[in-house]
Amino acid sequence: MTEPRPRLHHVPFSRSFRTLWLLEELGIDAEIVPHDIRAGDMRDPVYRAKSPAGRVPALEIDGRTLFESGAICEYLAETRGTLGRAPGHPERADYLTAIHYAETMAGLVEQLNLSRIFLRPPAQPSIPVLKITTARLRATLDGLEAMLEARDHALASGFSAADTMMGFNLFAVPYYVRLDPYPNVAAYRARLEARPAFQAARAKDGPQTFYRQEFYPIPEDSQ
Amino acid sequence: MIRLHHCPQSRSMRSLWLLNELEVPFEIVLHAFDKSLRDPDYLSLSPAGRVPALEIEGERMFETAAITEYLCERYPAAGMGRAPGEPDRMAWLVWVHFAETISQHVASLTQQHIVLREDWMRSPVMMELEARRLEKCYAAIEARLSTPIENRDYLLTSGFSAADVSVGQAVYMARYFASLDGFPAVADWYARISERPAFRAALPGEDAALIYDRPFYAPWPVAGR
Repeated sequence: MTEPRPRLHHVPFSRSFRTLWLLEELGIDAEIVPHDIRAGDMRDPVYRAKSPAGRVPALEIDGRTLFESGAICEYLAETRGTLGRAPGHPERADYLTAIHYAETMAGLVEQLNLSRIFLRPPAQPSIPVLKITTARLRATLDGLEAMLEARDHALASGFSAADTMMGFNLFAVPYYVRLDPYPNVAAYRARLEARPAFQAARAKDGPQTFYRQEFYPIPEDSQ
Repeated sequence: MIRLHHCPQSRSMRSLWLLNELEVPFEIVLHAFDKSLRDPDYLSLSPAGRVPALEIEGERMFETAAITEYLCERYPAAGMGRAPGEPDRMAWLVWVHFAETISQHVASLTQQHIVLREDWMRSPVMMELEARRLEKCYAAIEARLSTPIENRDYLLTSGFSAADVSVGQAVYMARYFASLDGFPAVADWYARISERPAFRAALPGEDAALIYDRPFYAPWPVAGR
């Protein structure tokens, strides 16, 4: 009996890239349903029934629909392949921490996206908020830099599903924080980028159009 | 020995509530919700300077939801987790993760209303936007609890779990910024779970320093409307 093809609801260069990439790593052939974040088609009631907060990714698989990229990551790694670390595994605590830490970092990137990309004039981002959020993002990079001192990936034993969670962030972070002071993070990013499954996912994701400039410096304080 | 690093009313209340539900022995290290979380000693436990952090059998963990998952796996007897392969595993993961999505909006609102020192730093547009996003989160919970067949008492068909603890504590914090009026199933569910002794024991003590010192922080009016 063949399984129905999983369907991934996807917005280019968003968190759903994590799922797109993990599916490639696992060799799972999925149908990709593109959504346009600016057109608001995720507010459609049919989509809402799948992803109740109207967000991507959502993954239709095993007869149900999952949302939350971290939950999808854990579920895929538990049910398919060998990229997870099951309960009881000596790296279980590190694996879970890495998955959720990636989301803490992504939440800060999202805050900056909200201020820099989605907030429309005349509304202006608050400069102190940009400063605080950027400082907090740097703090998460400091933590990652230290973690990577002794290992090449999120886990000492090598590549895992947690790297698809963390890795995605590292392609968005440099729009707000330069990676030069973080050599371990930059090397880790290069290591992930070299993976064939990453490149296959990147090709499916298409060119990045979300960010319109190469770097978003914090505007000069007018106060 | 389990040691929880905790600030009253913060996300670490989620770990405290869960530990109470698990009925395992632990001790609490109270922290002030301020710059002391950036002290080098604490950063060695939690590299981004956040609560909770958990010390357990020589492991040091941070990240609330990672702690939730790990504790449920380590102490399965209380039935708070849903192990891989169980029918509700998928839903359990979704809601444990979704609690963090709610909390990200709460963190942004806490910053806007409370952490920023001066009024000119605040953004009424952001306050309103984030409060609306919390309402969208409530709508997602409302839809989950009110199914066409019969209302669920808890987020999972199989009954109370750490998913309710996680989302419930996120709602505890969210209520300071977005009202549950208009979300009757969420309000009923919240009333049900917040009666639990383990929840009550996780509330701030009598003389604890509070993050939220009033019942509600309404968005400020947006200029020019």
